[in-house]
Amino acid sequence: MNTKHKANPHLYWNPYFGGFLLGIIIIFTFYLTGRGLGASGAMKSSVVTVVENVAPKHAESNSYYSQFIKEGDSPMNTWLVFEALGILIGAFISGSISGRIKWRVQHSPKITTKRRLIFALIGGILFGLGAQIARGCTSGAALSGMAVLSTGGFLTMLAIFGSAYAFAYFFRKNWI
Amino acid sequence: MDKKKTVKFLSYRYQILAATLIILAAGLVLLPKYEKQEGIRSKQLLSHAISPERYISTDDISHKLISQDPSFILVDVRDEESYNNYSLPNAINIPLSKLLDEDSLTYLNQDQFDVVFYSNDTFHADQAWMLCDRLGFKNLHVLQGGLNTWYSTIINPSKPSEAMPESDFKLYATRKAASMYFGVAYPDQNLGAELPSAPSTPKKVITVEKKKKRKAEGGC
Amino acid sequence: MGPLIPGGYIPMEWDSIIAIFIGIAFGFVLEASGFSSSRKLAGVFYGYDFAVLKVFFTAAAVSVIGIYYMDYLGYLDISKLYVHPTYLWGAIIGGVIMGAGFVTGGFCPGTSLCAVAIGKLDAWVYVIGIMIGVFIFSELFNLFEPIYDGYNFGNITLIDSFGWNPYWVIFVFAIIAVVAFGIADMVRKRVKSVFY
Repeated sequence: MNTKHKANPHLYWNPYFGGFLLGIIIIFTFYLTGRGLGASGAMKSSVVTVVENVAPKHAESNSYYSQFIKEGDSPMNTWLVFEALGILIGAFISGSISGRIKWRVQHSPKITTKRRLIFALIGGILFGLGAQIARGCTSGAALSGMAVLSTGGFLTMLAIFGSAYAFAYFFRKNWI
Repeated sequence: MDKKKTVKFLSYRYQILAATLIILAAGLVLLPKYEKQEGIRSKQLLSHAISPERYISTDDISHKLISQDPSFILVDVRDEESYNNYSLPNAINIPLSKLLDEDSLTYLNQDQFDVVFYSNDTFHADQAWMLCDRLGFKNLHVLQGGLNTWYSTIINPSKPSEAMPESDFKLYATRKAASMYFGVAYPDQNLGAELPSAPSTPKKVITVEKKKKRKAEGGC
Repeated sequence: MGPLIPGGYIPMEWDSIIAIFIGIAFGFVLEASGFSSSRKLAGVFYGYDFAVLKVFFTAAAVSVIGIYYMDYLGYLDISKLYVHPTYLWGAIIGGVIMGAGFVTGGFCPGTSLCAVAIGKLDAWVYVIGIMIGVFIFSELFNLFEPIYDGYNFGNITLIDSFGWNPYWVIFVFAIIAVVAFGIADMVRKRVKSVFY
């Protein structure tokens, strides 16, 4: 892999360096806003917005959507949506600096593009479902939770990585 | 030679980084423990305590009440029974035991109004002042002499004797006028004041804007 | 001092603007660390690339150490920070489902957003999948509600649950992280390299 990287102009950062910077960002976020990072919240807001616009009555009667619908304000007007916009911008900047921007489907040469996309969809559905049940994803619950030693954060982290390792065997063909 | 040293040093870089991380974490364990002090420092508290602005005289308060100055809140720190028995007009009742309740803090922890504490004397009012000042609340005052002084100066002012200077007579006149405002009847110019009845004026509603503070929220 | 916005030191109107800047930094670091590549992410589960583990644990260790130092020095009041609430079975069941989703799809929401930004079509599909997942959850909310709202322990930390000293927890956590990095490197040497 190293040899490949030497030939590859698209070098990634040293993971420890990235992790260090990410830790600093988390400290900074807590210092400024008193809260941690998050990502899945933006997707939840998008879903609520779509449902509210398509079927407003249904959104109001559903006890889950209605928690996020505010009178006279779009459900998109939340901290996490702005943060997610920032993620898109930041990743785009980083990607364009290193020349990684390209329309493509990344998958193991052993599987087809179609298979990769189907599995990506299934994975997304599972993750979206799980993130709602656990009230947070890897960034919101596990990473930010661990930064303040939240019990729930550690539990979620252990559950995510534990089950991912447990299921890894069944999906090995997709990756290796 | 130097290059060689650097290379050798760099080959240990991860060990060094790992050691740094662990040492930093160990530093937290080893740091001396101390009780965190909440609120303002003792020196600041002292300077507030000796400041003359801390006390507000009964004359000033009666003047403010009569001119319906909206800039202050009277806080009665006695218990509820005494409060219902007699209190100053438009005062709110926050018994000392409930001083730090959530509801009370909205009145005390704000920058809009001057807060004037009073009790029968200044004892409990001073305690309330001290507690709140230590928490860093602003614009706190204590009614000089408390309700006892209020009674002896405003409600039942002592008539100055002839030998006293003119200013005392003027003061007496204003105080008498004030006491009339607060419901003391003077049937015969200056003969014995009756016990004042509770003020019949409808209580002014004090609305305190909640400070733009909020709890940190989050989640995905 | 701190946290600045809930404490009223910075007007709340800045909240959204700060959110964008924090997001930019977050997205930049994630992308630059290689988290926009699902194969790199999945490597942690097959032992050919431990970037996720390294970044994740370094970030957690650095942030928790930094936050506790700032609390010690008085710049930040830990009791005012948002603590992710603990819903015991929600966290476990949700985490297990997320883990399955992670290894199936190869992303988590934050990293998929990075990949979306640089044009990975599988990430676009993944994000659509997440939205479908949220939609399914909301439509079947009555079914999930007992787990979602049940077993609530409030916003507790490890200190509340076990009575541990936070500083020792952090110290042990740092050691675990360093040991995990060492093991990860050892494992990677033994596993057949995967080129991606």
